Amino acid sequence: MHPPPPPPSSTRTHTQSTFRILTTKLPILKSDPIDALHARLGIPIPEMIFGDNLLSLTHLPTNWSLSFSAEPALDLVDKTGSNGSMLRVAYANEWSATREKTSSGIKEVVKPFDWSYSTTYKGTEVKGKGGKCFEKNEREEIPLELLKRRDPILFHDEVVLYESELDDNGISALTVKVRVMEQRMLVLCRFFLRLDNVLVRVRDTRVYVDFEEEKVVREWMSREDKFENVKKNLYMSGLMPDAITVALRDSNQVANLLPVVEHEVESVSLKSG
Amino acid sequence: MSDLDRAIAQLRACRPIPETEVRELCHKARELLIEEGNVVTVNAPVTICGDIHGQFHDLMELFRVGGDVPDTNYLFMGDFVDRGFYSLESFLLLLCLKVRYPDRMTLIRGNHESRQITTVYGFYDECLRKYGSANVWRYCCDVFDYLALGAIVLGASYTLPASPGRPLATPPGADVEIEVCNADQQIISQFLRKGRGDPPNGSMENGVVQQSNGVSSSTPTNTGPPGSGASGSSGGSLGNPAGAVLCVHGGLSPLIDSIDKIRLLDRKQEVPHEGAMCDLLWSDPDEIDGWGLSPRGAGFLFGADIVKVFNQKNDLSLIARAHQLVMEGFKEMFDATIVTVWSAPNYCYRCGNVAALLELSEDDSGLGVLARSNGDVNRSDGGFPGGGAGPLRGVLTESEVDSKPLLPGPARRYRVFMAAAQDSRGMPAKKPVADYFL
Repeated sequence: MHPPPPPPSSTRTHTQSTFRILTTKLPILKSDPIDALHARLGIPIPEMIFGDNLLSLTHLPTNWSLSFSAEPALDLVDKTGSNGSMLRVAYANEWSATREKTSSGIKEVVKPFDWSYSTTYKGTEVKGKGGKCFEKNEREEIPLELLKRRDPILFHDEVVLYESELDDNGISALTVKVRVMEQRMLVLCRFFLRLDNVLVRVRDTRVYVDFEEEKVVREWMSREDKFENVKKNLYMSGLMPDAITVALRDSNQVANLLPVVEHEVESVSLKSG
Repeated sequence: MSDLDRAIAQLRACRPIPETEVRELCHKARELLIEEGNVVTVNAPVTICGDIHGQFHDLMELFRVGGDVPDTNYLFMGDFVDRGFYSLESFLLLLCLKVRYPDRMTLIRGNHESRQITTVYGFYDECLRKYGSANVWRYCCDVFDYLALGAIVLGASYTLPASPGRPLATPPGADVEIEVCNADQQIISQFLRKGRGDPPNGSMENGVVQQSNGVSSSTPTNTGPPGSGASGSSGGSLGNPAGAVLCVHGGLSPLIDSIDKIRLLDRKQEVPHEGAMCDLLWSDPDEIDGWGLSPRGAGFLFGADIVKVFNQKNDLSLIARAHQLVMEGFKEMFDATIVTVWSAPNYCYRCGNVAALLELSEDDSGLGVLARSNGDVNRSDGGFPGGGAGPLRGVLTESEVDSKPLLPGPARRYRVFMAAAQDSRGMPAKKPVADYFL
């Protein structure tokens, strides 16, 4: 079987100041690698699994790096569904009620796990020379005003790590994108979950690099709300019903409507001396 | 040129037809579909296709690879719409072909052929965008309610007819069970028949792949020479050497133990959230024993034992289904008793997967020639020798099931194809834009 030809160049790199940024984009995994991943992780793998995709950021002088890929992200998904993380589709009660009568012999949930693939992944960090790594630093913040400036973008990319259609009950997707300007860069790794008529969840990891100071700030922000609240808020913002359906597919249109449930900031300074 | 032929030509060019024509087309299609039973009987040769999802240009590629209608007899297992950019053109073209060549085109319902799902996953928006109103979406949804729930393929051959090119070093008279070809008619791999076991899937290695044990010695002993039609186990499938193939979008249901029970459902409604009809369109095979509940809180999973019992009981050799993305385009499971066929290459324009279609050829023994039947209950399977569907493919006691050998599967040719070239879709490949995201 001939595989689809890889995209013209599946890996791209860009070096800016003392940092090297690398992205790899390849098709979804084939059956055998999926089976192997399944065996390693112990949970069913999302149907769109870009297991070869990667975005990494390396500080060349110290070899400190932070990378984003699917396997470690899926490794952080609750694999037993035991800690109350188990979501149910909107019509689950209705569904099981009618099944009581007709198929009551079938009670066993097959391998429970967090099938929404909600992850707390913030990237995979490799310590730099001298053990430099992220430390909690709640005084630090990402300078949004500087990022709003229309500085020329020298390198940008968007890499999907995994995506599930949740059996047509919504969407669960982990994507990471990057833009590099002359003095700074930003990475956004976003987990987006829309479980129709149940909830909307956005978990963002932002990584900001100041090239001059060789400082990296990582901000984690988890937001979520009930589906009906999100819908109501979109309606209150003046959208018509059809536009609301469209907006609910776009994490950018809903993220800021969701209350923040978790927030933390870390930073690492990589400048020598 | 008739109006219908003109509409087909226009849709083939990926141009929508006027709303009034859609209404008329949907009306005609409904009249046609209402006559079909829940399980349509289709005779081999037939080419079985999985999900399309509005990827119009890839559907054109599928027709290029599989042959055009009406030269090729097609069976599409649902999910014509949603996610792709051209659900409307794809579905209307298939519907036009159905109306134009009713006996050469079989459409069965997928879980996306539903009002609720199309509202969320794109088809509704597309209709609104292309027509300015939801009328066309409504006409199409009314057709969805009449689509059959499944199909039975009869008369499929136990052996593969020779391909135009046979570059592989197949021993003369070798009994090829599975052949995988690429879009250019080249054979990529062949598997010889050796009884059940070691089902391949598309992930087999490049080049010559042959399972060498058993050219003829290990073929099931109850089966006569290829083409003779002498299938010792053909209890309910006289003159059908390979056993019948059930085609359904999703899978089995714990409420359905015989095909006749599918025939008794009231299908002319929106896809319900529960019950047998829902299961047929939504359930998935999984590596489990028996039945299981999906962790999502709705939906069933079924294991190899369920498929084997169902196939034995219903004189089936194979279940063909769609519904799940498989990177290689097809995936056989459970000793080749069930196969997933996926026909949307580069799914959602970003997965990079290949697609496949499954060709079952005609048994040329002369015994398997049957008229197409709409497959209603209590109706003969269209000249099926031995008469009605009832006693033959109906109930068997457990002991009978145990003693009955598995029917040999039909010879299967998978044609694997890639997404249509980017320049044929009239739109640039999606590139990430340099946006100032925060």
